[in-house]
Amino acid sequence: MYIYDDFDQTVAKQRVAEFRDQVDRRLKGELTEEQFRPLRLMNGLYLQLHAYMLRVAVPYGTMSVAQVRKLADIARKYDRGYGHFTTRQNLQYNWIKLEQMPDLLADLASVQMHGNQTSGNCVRNVTADHFAGVIADEVEDPRIVSEVIRQWSTFHPEFSWLPRKFKIAVTGAAKDRAAVQWHDIGLQIVRNEAGEVGYIVFVGGGMGRIPVLATKVRAFLPKQELLSYLEAILRVYNRYGRRDNIHKARIKILVRDLGPEEFTRQVEAEWEQTRHTGINLPPEEETRIARYFTPPAYEAITEPVTAFEDAKKKNRGFAQWVSTNVHPHKAPGYAIVTISLKPIGGIPGDISADQMDAVADLAERYSAAEVRATHIQNLVLPNVKQADLLAVWQRLGEIGFADANAGLITDVIACPGLDYCSLANARSIPIAQRISERFADLDRQHDVGELQIKISGCINACGHHHAGHIGILGVDKAGQEFYQITLGGAGDETAATGQLLGPGFSSDQIVDAIEKVVGAYLDIRQPNEPFIATYRRVGPAPFKEKLYGTR
Amino acid sequence: MVPASRVLDRNGPIADGWQRLADDAPAPAGASVLVSFARLKNEHNALFATAGAVGVDIGGDVELEELEPLLPRLGLIVVRFATMRDGRPFSVGRLLRERYGFTRDLRAVGDFIPDQVLFLLRCGFNSFEVGPNFSAEALKHSVAAYTVWYQRGVERNATVAEMRLAKEKA
Repeated sequence: MYIYDDFDQTVAKQRVAEFRDQVDRRLKGELTEEQFRPLRLMNGLYLQLHAYMLRVAVPYGTMSVAQVRKLADIARKYDRGYGHFTTRQNLQYNWIKLEQMPDLLADLASVQMHGNQTSGNCVRNVTADHFAGVIADEVEDPRIVSEVIRQWSTFHPEFSWLPRKFKIAVTGAAKDRAAVQWHDIGLQIVRNEAGEVGYIVFVGGGMGRIPVLATKVRAFLPKQELLSYLEAILRVYNRYGRRDNIHKARIKILVRDLGPEEFTRQVEAEWEQTRHTGINLPPEEETRIARYFTPPAYEAITEPVTAFEDAKKKNRGFAQWVSTNVHPHKAPGYAIVTISLKPIGGIPGDISADQMDAVADLAERYSAAEVRATHIQNLVLPNVKQADLLAVWQRLGEIGFADANAGLITDVIACPGLDYCSLANARSIPIAQRISERFADLDRQHDVGELQIKISGCINACGHHHAGHIGILGVDKAGQEFYQITLGGAGDETAATGQLLGPGFSSDQIVDAIEKVVGAYLDIRQPNEPFIATYRRVGPAPFKEKLYGTR
Repeated sequence: MVPASRVLDRNGPIADGWQRLADDAPAPAGASVLVSFARLKNEHNALFATAGAVGVDIGGDVELEELEPLLPRLGLIVVRFATMRDGRPFSVGRLLRERYGFTRDLRAVGDFIPDQVLFLLRCGFNSFEVGPNFSAEALKHSVAAYTVWYQRGVERNATVAEMRLAKEKA
């Protein structure tokens, strides 16, 4: 993975010093809260219902063992002994004191981490496929360009005060695990007919109260011209994006108001003026960064791993876990492991300091010392030998993270909701916990099969409900928490916006309602047909009927 | 007494010879006058004939194509921040310097804070009209906050990528 050199470390150190000074001036009253707010947000610090919340950037979801251990230390030293992985591959602490922030940031910087641009109206921490570099169907490891984007977007002099937040995601494969069409800019690395590497550029996707899938503005952008093209997009947005209404300030609204063709024309016209002005990265620098993502030296494993095959036959629990949480690796004899942070009844994405240390130990021993965070709020060990899978599973069982539920109905995404968040209308976490408990039976989960439930506690959609096969949106109805159900959303290469099914349900009713939706699916599915495929085949009617009866 | 507003550059307070004119106020002959964009559009010939120097006050929503023909005769462009979160002046500054070749005084005014000045400098601004609560001390501090940059600014600094290459070759 990428390792800072002296230049990167200088920037990181200067950032800590700058924020130390800003906190000091805030505490002395030299900065008003209104002036300080965007500064702390650009360091990841939110003021929530009960305390400050810090969002630590995990660039493109990749962490070293030393970083995971430091995150555990910080959880113990500054928080209440745990952290929370988010839907943007970041980690949040919920109980931070402002006075301690500068020291905390210095601790993060000691392992080349930070909270830069995890909030605020700037280019946010870039996200990428959590299987980057280890799957077979990839054109190029998307973390290389993600690191290029991380550096370019860090403290950009022109684009740090945008109309609204700005999220960029990258996939290196046609199978999209990074939800690129749901981002302000989505990049898909492709090879053209001449064999050259470049990008499909999507612009203007986003969730929130107006869910929009991105527009493809360019079918092929040559790789070496990326940064000038990004600057052209951002310049058009920075100048013409709406600033009068926070709900209409995302780039998706500008694309909609101008129309995709006119927006694209303006971007291309701007780009023509700047593409030869030295904004693009020197190719030598791209090569230098790429070197950090050289795959580890894999052992040549040519024979089937009999110990692994035998263990699956002998141990049904292990076999179930392998069927959901272990994914094909590009190197023979290796596997990718999803560590489920969704134990039955647990809080999605939560992880204690001790569990972080245990995951770090596993990665050090079995996975080339690397851990990934996923936007589904799980972790990944990207480089595990098949021969080691049983030992990994057993150790995960000891720390409570061996649930065989990756991609299944209890692998729920949920935002922090009204338990923590000052924007929320309703609680998300208890709904996730109760759904998880209702469907705890593992055989039943495996029978239901692939099904993504995503829960947001308000219309801002941090729980990605628009992209859930089943989406749940918490709303406030006359002071009561109510939950609306959407069906048919997707975040992959078949991205779609979930459609509202009908009137909402109370907190007491919502889990029963979800069970009815699942029941309707089981009644009408064809053999081996996953939930989303059934929904696409039959539409909402059978589900409506089951939930609301015939009207 | 602290004046209501004053002008700073990256090192601290500077003298300001510009006189801000209301749209209906006559332009004193030979003076350096700062006028609204609306007035400049209507009266530029008269203004350029009587005033010693002419400056214009614009917002981040300016269409630079409209301003372009007048640029060679302007001595000052003041770009106004609607709020401290208004990011448009950063683009306007960079465009004026890099695309339109404006070389004279480029000044920010409005609710920006000292912590934003380094970025403004990097986008081509060289002076700052600020209110009584704006700390010149904080500005000095902010300007020195970073010494290396991943991006090239209007000042044509070497980027981190270029410094890496130079180091490798050395």
